[in-house]
Amino acid sequence: MAPTSTPTTWLRWSSAALLAIALAGCGAPSASAPTSVEAPAATAAATSTAADLAPVKDYLVERSGELSSATAALKTHSDAYYALAKQANFDYAALWSTNRAAVIAVIQDARAAWVVASPGYERIEGIVAGVPSLAAFDVVIDAGTSGTDGGENVAPVDLALPNGRMLAKPGNLFGVTESTLWGTFPEYTIKQVQADFDADGSIGFGEALPDANVLKAGVDTLHEQTVALGAAAQAWQPTEQDAFTALVTMVPTMTEYFNSWKSSRFVAGGSSTQRDFVAISRLADIQDILGSLQVVHRGVSPVISQVDPAQDAQIGQGLSELKAFVADVYAKERRGERFTAEDADLLGSEAQSRADTITGHVTQAAAKLNIALQ
Amino acid sequence: MLRPTFRLTVAPVPVARQQRRPQRPIAAILAALLIAVALLPLTAAAQTPSPAQLAEQIRSRLTRAQLALAADRAQAAALVDESDSIYTADLGPQLRPIAPDADRTIAADLAVARAAVARGDAAAYAAARASIWTAMLAGAYAAADTSLAAGDVAAAQRWLSLREYRHSTRFLRPDADATRALHSAASGQMSIPDASAALHAELLDTYQAKLTEALSDVRAADRQGFAMRRAEAGALADGYFAILAPSLAQQRGEPARAAASGAFSELAAVALRGGDLDAATLSAEQSIAGFRAAPLSQADQVRRAGQLMRFLALVPVEYSRGVAGGKVTKDLELREATTFHDGALAAFNDLRSLLEQRDAPATAQMAAQFAAIETLLASANAQSAADPAALDAQVAALDASLRAVMPQEWLRHNNAADFDVIQTALDQMERAVAAGDYELAESARLEAYAILESGPEAKLIVFAPQFKPSLESLFWYGQEERKGLAHLIGQRASQQEIRQSRQALNAELASAQKALVGNNAPMAVGTNAAVIVFREGLEAVLILASLMGSMKFGEQRKLRRPLWAGAALALGASALTWVAAQGALTMLARYGERLEAIVSLIAIGVLLLITNWFFHDVYWKGWMSNFHQQKRRMTGGQLGQTIGLVTLGFASIYREGFETVLFLQALVLESGAATVLAGVAAGLAATVGVGLVVFLLQAKLPHKKMLIATGMMIVFVLMQMVGNTVHVMQVVGWMSIHPIRSLDLPYWAGMWFGLYATWEGIALQIAAGLFTIGSYFVAERMQHAKQDAVIRSQTARAS
Repeated sequence: MAPTSTPTTWLRWSSAALLAIALAGCGAPSASAPTSVEAPAATAAATSTAADLAPVKDYLVERSGELSSATAALKTHSDAYYALAKQANFDYAALWSTNRAAVIAVIQDARAAWVVASPGYERIEGIVAGVPSLAAFDVVIDAGTSGTDGGENVAPVDLALPNGRMLAKPGNLFGVTESTLWGTFPEYTIKQVQADFDADGSIGFGEALPDANVLKAGVDTLHEQTVALGAAAQAWQPTEQDAFTALVTMVPTMTEYFNSWKSSRFVAGGSSTQRDFVAISRLADIQDILGSLQVVHRGVSPVISQVDPAQDAQIGQGLSELKAFVADVYAKERRGERFTAEDADLLGSEAQSRADTITGHVTQAAAKLNIALQ
Repeated sequence: MLRPTFRLTVAPVPVARQQRRPQRPIAAILAALLIAVALLPLTAAAQTPSPAQLAEQIRSRLTRAQLALAADRAQAAALVDESDSIYTADLGPQLRPIAPDADRTIAADLAVARAAVARGDAAAYAAARASIWTAMLAGAYAAADTSLAAGDVAAAQRWLSLREYRHSTRFLRPDADATRALHSAASGQMSIPDASAALHAELLDTYQAKLTEALSDVRAADRQGFAMRRAEAGALADGYFAILAPSLAQQRGEPARAAASGAFSELAAVALRGGDLDAATLSAEQSIAGFRAAPLSQADQVRRAGQLMRFLALVPVEYSRGVAGGKVTKDLELREATTFHDGALAAFNDLRSLLEQRDAPATAQMAAQFAAIETLLASANAQSAADPAALDAQVAALDASLRAVMPQEWLRHNNAADFDVIQTALDQMERAVAAGDYELAESARLEAYAILESGPEAKLIVFAPQFKPSLESLFWYGQEERKGLAHLIGQRASQQEIRQSRQALNAELASAQKALVGNNAPMAVGTNAAVIVFREGLEAVLILASLMGSMKFGEQRKLRRPLWAGAALALGASALTWVAAQGALTMLARYGERLEAIVSLIAIGVLLLITNWFFHDVYWKGWMSNFHQQKRRMTGGQLGQTIGLVTLGFASIYREGFETVLFLQALVLESGAATVLAGVAAGLAATVGVGLVVFLLQAKLPHKKMLIATGMMIVFVLMQMVGNTVHVMQVVGWMSIHPIRSLDLPYWAGMWFGLYATWEGIALQIAAGLFTIGSYFVAERMQHAKQDAVIRSQTARAS
């Protein structure tokens, strides 16, 4: 017998056995492997009636389209102002003295466009800020603070001005453009020109020339963002989890809105030092936001009704009454009624109390439906 | 008003039947009537406003009255009358039989409110309004409790809807435990006592939070000179305390309750009439210092403590990534630092009363430390930011303070807290993706994975190993139905795609967490450690024991030394890793897989070389002859052999040593060193036992059989090692993944045999096997050729 025959045979058989073991393992059923793990809570809701979220998406897509049209109009006026300034070689004193009427007209047009665009966003903010996959737009467009203010909500956007300057983290874009257009932030206005729009001999609120470079960069970026938001809205596939999360995230933010209203010129008058929310009362914004949250609630109402119709009715009624409550205060404000700081505090507390109750009901409904909030 | 909805859903049934079966109209009509009659009570119930709706009608009218009081006293009076009517006609009759105390308070305060309106006293009215509201809350709570105790779950559910909720924040959503509990009790899935416990826990917790808010509001209103708001907040504090008072009496006795009731009544009085409000507030606060109306369960305490320590440790990590050169350079990192701080603070606040009981001054100091850190974070901006070292020092000091006061069991590692923190890190990942910052998203993903690796994974691999492959796949580069997060982030995938994988991962994490519940007894942890050591050490022992067993004659025995030396070096390196990992467990865990892949590649390379050499020089020439020949030929060859054996000894052990150290340390943090060391000793004993058996068998086998057994063992271990290494390289994205969809392998095939259903893994395992076996045949052929040549030469010489 050859000296190598035994090991050769052994090795061959052993190799075959090893492969057989290996291959046997390949075909073995996975006895203890999880054949079906628990479904994610968001999809585990055993509901026979689905939420009707198509109208929520339609609403968002339609309104975001209107918003980008509004920012396009704003951009037209911002570009016109920039062209005027450029024509004057950015000599604003010369521009003001030689082309005063045109300058006032174009600034007024831009402000009018801004006043259309801003509520256009507020009408969808409840959804955009409340849905986690869209929430980043809210920080950039309307909610983020500036890098100087810091905090946990800095808008992650830098503005590259046409003159080559870079504004690092100036804050949310509606805030930047508002303070530029109404002159509430000196850095973004032309300080050396006393722009007495109404020629009454004094410089009142809003009488300031915007820095055309800041305005153009701010408006251009705002328009880019609203267009991108429109595309994101188109791509969004709303889920019940999104809808419930939007409600519990946005409904309880009433205190923040009332606080900014309290310190705005609508309550504090001339003593207000607030840069933003000077053109439109926050009370109007709150109603717009609540309007979009009502749309969201209508989308999930069928599923909530299924587990607790009374609770669903309470949520719907709560939202309506909260909106009516704010509308009533807004109507008084529009009629010229002025609120003391203590009144504003009470109103904010009442709104928050109602909002907390609504949020509580939404949370309970989500729990009954086994929908995980994000 | 509510509209009945039940009728709409039920009525079509008999109609449809009637259409299909016209021959039985009477039966159908009777059926419809029976159903309608059966549903009458439900319909009526749906039409009756719930206690919550009635209370809301009263509350909103009373608030409007307060707003109208200054301008239109008549309107305010009318609104109070309306409220009184609703209470008297609808809510009062329901509440009175179950909660007579609350009913009396409401009736009395309505009278006070009416009188206050009559004299235009806004502050007195505000206080009365607050008192009416909290009395309604107290009454509803009592009614829900009484109904539940009587087994009337439906009534308890109706009363539970009249309640308040904690203010919702990013970290804290209103609880739903009580709702869930009553839901379960209604369907018989939960006992009444358990549901009752959940009801008390949630409502007491909520009203204690509201009491804390009210105390803060009293001070704020006083600071701003808001007399009406101050009176209201004082009365609210008094009313919320009344709800908690029975719990205080139960925990501290009746005298403590009476003293606290006195302090809160005095606070309400001072808030109404003015006076030394600070003293009154302080007195009220002190009367309930350290009191927690709904005590946290022991498990919740440990979980919150785990969250607190984990979150706190992450604050300086994120801060140092976001701050450079004295200013904020990455906003999102700073935001995450704040997020972790807030998470830690929320957990601290939940534990505060318990910490106060242990050491009140130290707890106050810790609260101040939290505030200092918050200030530092809030002041960081694009222009200036504190040095990360300063934050490091503050966090280290706070960490030390916490450790000094916390009970020992809180400081043990807690898997539930780990899973909470993993979720927070994954939230960050999604936020970073939403902001388009994929680099940060990857960092957050790694953070989440590192927490898993340095915490629950040590248990998962023993108690629920089936989850390990799926979790790895979803965290890293998985190519299953849902792609791995590392892959998606690397591809700059859409938020939607990343969200879907995250949700799949969430489901796996939730199942894994559930599977680990109850596996923290010392015996279980010891077993855990033993199994880890045995499993991770088995490969190394098989290689080393079989090789050493085959080196049994003369000069061969010397070859054992480099193997021993390599093994000793690996053990030393593992010990160093142990030391390095202390305090930096999560940081090191970020690199675990990559290091394992590198060391495994080295191990495989060396093993292939050794195998080749083994077959060529050992099978066919014998150790001795080869050794002497080599010695004669060149010293460098022997040196190479020695280095190879040292490397093999080292890599075989350290390949798994790094990860084993991390796992063991996670277990030590959870259950202490003694339990884990006992497990390690048992695991080592088993491993050494297997090694000895292999070694002795090798030593006793006849030479040829020994050689075959050794070769077999090496082939087996090599294939397993190749399979596992390919897998880990695929996990970290260093090798492509092409899954074999038709192959459904059980998890243990991967764990014990390195078999994973990917083309790369299976193909390379086969290639490794073929290489080794081929190496044998090549050696065989060469040997035959040499023997033939010798025979030919001898034949030629003979002829």
